[in-house]
Amino acid sequence: MALFALSYDAVAILRDFAAAHGITYPLLADEGSRVIRALGLVNERVQDDHDVYGIKPNPRHVDLPYPGVFVLDRDGVIAQKRFHASYRERETGRGLIARALGIFTEPAAPATGTAAAVQARAWTDSPSYAFFQRLALTVELAIAPGFHVYAAPVADGLVPLSVEVAPIEGLEVGEASWPPPRRFDMAELADQLWVHEGTVHGTLPLTFTAAPGGGDHVVEITVRYQACDDSSCLMPSSLRLELPVREVALVGRSLPSPSVASGGAR
Amino acid sequence: MPLPPRDFRTIGPKEGEPFPAVRLPDQSGALVDLHAARAGRPALVVIYRSAEW
Repeated sequence: MALFALSYDAVAILRDFAAAHGITYPLLADEGSRVIRALGLVNERVQDDHDVYGIKPNPRHVDLPYPGVFVLDRDGVIAQKRFHASYRERETGRGLIARALGIFTEPAAPATGTAAAVQARAWTDSPSYAFFQRLALTVELAIAPGFHVYAAPVADGLVPLSVEVAPIEGLEVGEASWPPPRRFDMAELADQLWVHEGTVHGTLPLTFTAAPGGGDHVVEITVRYQACDDSSCLMPSSLRLELPVREVALVGRSLPSPSVASGGAR
Repeated sequence: MPLPPRDFRTIGPKEGEPFPAVRLPDQSGALVDLHAARAGRPALVVIYRSAEW
């Protein structure tokens, strides 16, 4: 696997950055954004986006690319594109390795919980976050043998599987994605039902957009579901998982002092 | 507040297409031909805003 990084910086800036951080892979210098423009990656709407966040015009914010990663196969063909709307956004290194290369590492310290017929674990692809880094939250449900949980949409009176993340200031929570459920036929039911069984993994993107210094957080995750076997259903259940995440500084920066930062470090 | 979504399928080179030829200087000033430097390996090409800010 080869690794390249491309920005509009001059060679001298990249030389200093590589030396400061021990980077040995090529940092390509596209001064003037000639290649970025030829690739069609210039974000022409940076100032529109700035207006969303209340950021003033900045001469360095011209000819910026959308940030992202191309995954190339052996033939140099683009196998995957992983891009973001904001120049501040990026995945964690570990998350990129998992989702671009399919190499998953076991979580070091997952949050765990148990309720009716389900054991749950949750973890993020990195135990720490930096400003605007996108973490992937994985929720794993181990459903007891013989049981299933319902996927939306469900018939009246049944509770579908859902995951909710309690609000944290500046935390943007994306939509959960689950593997495709299995169709479940019950002779006495006219409606079609869809179920999950065995061990299933759902993922949700979490992006921490509050200003640096937001501090450490505990992500509170509520999983709601209803477990049934072939003959009867248990009462709707919910279980709660508490997952600590630590704030780290952006590369080359330090975090504001906790005494002046809102929330502070806990 | 999330930004309005972009359709990245239509922005830049597309999935399934060959990545274009790129020749640029690296941090040492040496000219790098991306595909030649890949030398038949798969690759990640990270596009990022700046190493300066």
